[in-house]
Amino acid sequence: MAENNIYKPIKYKVDKIVEETSNIKTFFISSEKDFEFDTGQFVEVTLDGIGEAPYTPSSSPYIKNKMELTIMNAGYVTGKMHQLKGGETIGIRGPFGKGYPIKKFYGTEILILGGGVGLAPLRCLILTLLEEEDKFKKINICFGAKTPADFIYKDWFSELEKHKKVRLLRSVDVPDKDWDGTVGVVTVLLDEIKANYQEINSIVCGPPIMMKFGAKKLLELGVNEKNIYLSMETNMSCGLGKCGHCDMDGLYVCKDGPVFTFDEVKHTTEMKEFFRLFKDK
Amino acid sequence: MRKYSVSLKQWVKILNSISAEIDIFAPIRKDEYLDYEQLTEDNIMSISYNKAIPTTPLKSFFFPIKENVVREDEDKQRVILGAPACDLSALNILDKIFLDEQFLDTYYKDKRDNTIIIGSDCYEISENCHCTSYNIDPYPKENCDISLSLIDYKVTLQVFSKKGEKFIKRFSQELKEINKLPPEIQKKREETIEKLAIQNKDLPNIEETRKGVEKEGTIIWKKYAEDCVSCGACALVCPTCHCFLLIDKENFEKIKNWDSCQYPSFEKVAGDEDPLAHIYDRLKNRYLCKYVHKPDMYDEIACTGCGRCIEACIGKINKNELIAEVCE
Repeated sequence: MAENNIYKPIKYKVDKIVEETSNIKTFFISSEKDFEFDTGQFVEVTLDGIGEAPYTPSSSPYIKNKMELTIMNAGYVTGKMHQLKGGETIGIRGPFGKGYPIKKFYGTEILILGGGVGLAPLRCLILTLLEEEDKFKKINICFGAKTPADFIYKDWFSELEKHKKVRLLRSVDVPDKDWDGTVGVVTVLLDEIKANYQEINSIVCGPPIMMKFGAKKLLELGVNEKNIYLSMETNMSCGLGKCGHCDMDGLYVCKDGPVFTFDEVKHTTEMKEFFRLFKDK
Repeated sequence: MRKYSVSLKQWVKILNSISAEIDIFAPIRKDEYLDYEQLTEDNIMSISYNKAIPTTPLKSFFFPIKENVVREDEDKQRVILGAPACDLSALNILDKIFLDEQFLDTYYKDKRDNTIIIGSDCYEISENCHCTSYNIDPYPKENCDISLSLIDYKVTLQVFSKKGEKFIKRFSQELKEINKLPPEIQKKREETIEKLAIQNKDLPNIEETRKGVEKEGTIIWKKYAEDCVSCGACALVCPTCHCFLLIDKENFEKIKNWDSCQYPSFEKVAGDEDPLAHIYDRLKNRYLCKYVHKPDMYDEIACTGCGRCIEACIGKINKNELIAEVCE
């Protein structure tokens, strides 16, 4: 039977676990076999006998035998993930879904807007972009978190700032005494960026509410609906476009997404309900 | 397509000898229910021919209620006899989903490959049958290997596929090849179509149904949701419902288990966001899926008019009454 069993996970070893914030950890995992994926695609992670959940790797797709997964403790499976100590065997299926259309971004200015644990897939994207840094006009990065302590990848930011095409801006909702950056929700950073919004490609990833406000602001700034990329979040089981759990008004987030342009999702109940809130104001 | 004729008596002998080698499943009536049973010498005379419809949808032979999809078991060859046209039509959607080239479900494929489907004309319909309202004729036209009709103790077989041709070779010396279908088959088919037309004269067609379901806000969903208890029976008996949940077992094994968008928490995510939180959201989702989303995704309406969901509903929700109401 099955030479290529779509339901059978590949085994990975958990090599190291790094605590990013009070409820977010990065899992460094490795396998004997190489694993190919495109930036923005996701994998299904199995905890043996416990359950399975989808995550987008936060490491570069250029690294094939190792992977990093940054995971927030938010539910049953993630809670069990957070109890791992290192050394365990976990399962990976994938890669699934459509990632970011990197080639479409060639020659353009890019704006990346991220919040909270949404920086995880964006880190994978940014590492991919930086492999071909010369191909892009400019890479604007706006990251937000609730407090300075809630930023993941704290050591990475100074690294990023060394790249000449990169402009990194960060904001927090609630500052501490050492914070000298912007205060406010992440979208306020967009006012600081002087970009040609009509031509920009923008990528947003973060909590659902932040993504919607991010999309709204980008639209107001004149960004084309087809140039706003969002990562949609739904319940998911198979990752294969078969089990029906991730249905979003006739789109399967696992197969048609998880990355969608605003144009592709503006008809969904979730988006319509959000934008209806502002209709008469 | 080659056609053969054989007496019922001879056909029973053929089935008897084949069933000694291959598992054959056929509809048998038990009390008020008609359902597939494995043929044995004892029940072979009780097969219900050309009657709508087996309680279990055909899908369960290819997409079982529970299936370990990591363990590798060999599938045996088997024969399903008496599949109605509505269930055969449902395979169009299921095949698109499970035989999708990008992610081929080999468990589904092996079962499809190893099964010979003998479809059958429907001459007796059940009170909720409405296939013709959705452009499906009440006799096999696709997705079967052989079709069967029994009229006046005479069995007519028509070959639809190479697999069917090969299967029939096992016993073709017992059959008489004929040039065309006997005229009484055409007559019976027309009678069935007429009965269905009378039974469903007020039912909106596919296009009207789509429009009605799409435009309805919340009032009618809320009204019908009062009788819904989220039991999911409508989805379980539906020949096109394909939703499932992967349940993890030790040693990285996974069980593909039927699921339903009618169950609470079907779309709930970590952090408790739930787009289908209310019963009426879930009820609406079912109809949108069947008549709007599936046609958009697969070019097929996901309702074959089998009427099982109407019979199965413990809240006595009549899908066709609901549809008539949203189309008003």
